[in-house]
Amino acid sequence: MNSGVAQTGMGFCGRILAVWNRHMRVYGRNLVSNGLPPFLEPLIFLGGIGLGFRGYVGMIEGMPYLRFLGTGLLVTTAMFTAAYECTYVTFIRLEFEKVYDGMLAAPLTVRDLFLGEILWAGSKGLFFSFAVLLVLSLCGIVSFWAALAAPLIGFVTAVMFGAVGLLVTSFVKTINHFSFFFTGLMSPMFFFCGVVFSIAKLPGWIRPVVELLPLTHPVRLMRAIVQGQYGVILLWDGVYIVLLTLLAGTWAIRRLRRRLIT
Amino acid sequence: MVVVKVIDVQHVCKHYGAVGAVKDLSFGVAGASCFGLLGPNGAGKTTMMKMIYAKALRDAAPASVLTVFGYDPGEDALAIKSLAAVVPQENNLDEELNVEQNLQVYARFYGLGTRAARRRIGELLEFVELNDRPTLAIRELSGGMKRRLIIARALLNRPSLLILDEPTTGLDPQVRHLIWDKLRQLKREGITILLTTHYMEEAYQICERVLIMHQGRKIMEGTPAGLLAQHIEKYVLELLSSEAWGRLPDPLPAGVRQEGTAERVLLYTDDLALLRSLAEQGSREYYLRQTNLEDLFMKATGRGLNE
Repeated sequence: MNSGVAQTGMGFCGRILAVWNRHMRVYGRNLVSNGLPPFLEPLIFLGGIGLGFRGYVGMIEGMPYLRFLGTGLLVTTAMFTAAYECTYVTFIRLEFEKVYDGMLAAPLTVRDLFLGEILWAGSKGLFFSFAVLLVLSLCGIVSFWAALAAPLIGFVTAVMFGAVGLLVTSFVKTINHFSFFFTGLMSPMFFFCGVVFSIAKLPGWIRPVVELLPLTHPVRLMRAIVQGQYGVILLWDGVYIVLLTLLAGTWAIRRLRRRLIT
Repeated sequence: MVVVKVIDVQHVCKHYGAVGAVKDLSFGVAGASCFGLLGPNGAGKTTMMKMIYAKALRDAAPASVLTVFGYDPGEDALAIKSLAAVVPQENNLDEELNVEQNLQVYARFYGLGTRAARRRIGELLEFVELNDRPTLAIRELSGGMKRRLIIARALLNRPSLLILDEPTTGLDPQVRHLIWDKLRQLKREGITILLTTHYMEEAYQICERVLIMHQGRKIMEGTPAGLLAQHIEKYVLELLSSEAWGRLPDPLPAGVRQEGTAERVLLYTDDLALLRSLAEQGSREYYLRQTNLEDLFMKATGRGLNE
């Protein structure tokens, strides 16, 4: 029995990893149903869109169409898994299952909870990107070794969209409101941020808007890495990702703290 | 002997918007004892508990003090949470994990190593008598099993303070008595217990001190026996039919206090012989007994609904 003097307990990193461990354990319980879709989805996309359009579209940005689309999918798979994880799944834990209420009775802070959540979203992004990379390289669309850093961009993408997802969640009162986020922001980004066609083909007045959308930046980074062609604009992409992640993450945690600690 | 206060609450208030949930509450909880917060629904018991384990923040006021093991929950929540454990009112087990995994995940939150966790989980499942079903899914558990599992989860880190919010609400008598036995056992091991309840018997069975709250305020505080001796007559006669009530003398003899509803009349007095004679004038449908905490509770908080 301890005598009333607080033990030092775990440090910051230990606590965040303990939260990550909880999510990993839950995910790992249904490994087949959770682990298969990231491999199947890119096949469906490459087959459904890539094979159909390939005949009409020549080279885009110096790449065959399947390669152009495939490198985009390396990013969007990470984006969707993180956005889904930190909106619907987080909301269910927050409001229906009361998982966080239990966790907050353990020596964890609200910040630990959500940093662990963002780290988990990032890890899923890494894994999902890696799955797409395997599919792409098995289909001979990209070279596995040349694109080995791609999952890291997947991680960064997922961390950013995890933070953005948490921010959206912090505003949402009923679970139906997430449709606004997915239909209003996620779907347009999929089509207008250079995943399925080059943003250079967009009318000039839209291009500045596209530069403000989050998905544009990891997509450009991913293409640069896969092609091995780097330019100064990538600095802007890096700065954008870091700033948006910090801003959305900090704001989300502050708002969620007010929701959880009444 | 110096009595060490584990929890010190002085002039604590809590408002949610314009609604006052806790109003100027003060009390102290001594180490290795059980302290009960009693009160009807909406009295502010849960809010008070939440402020103690840093799930809610008290209103800022210079006179207000709240410390747990000397730490202020507003500043040192982690220190408190590493010493105290919570059994909340609502079951919040992780439905996505089974019995054993729930405990394993929480063992990580407390920084227990794999081997230490395995040993502790084994002990605790045995303690709460769930050791034969470690792989059951949470939705397969009965209400009583869920409660016991939450108690096991709370004990993982060998807490010095156990906070229980209505631990036996909705449970059958067998489970309730089992939980009371476990709590007595923990108290013997030196754990301080703070619980809320509206079962008066629960408070009488396990609490050394109780505090009765009503509408956010303290109404009375003391030992269960002391409060009974001080605040309520010794005996009560319950008359369960309205005809019996009609046959009683009017006015009632001096020193008899009447309370009750149209269906059930209660006559309180310290004079047992007087009550017995009243009972015989009435009818055979009567119940003559000593007063208990529930009578006191009803006297203190009124018979109306509080919602």
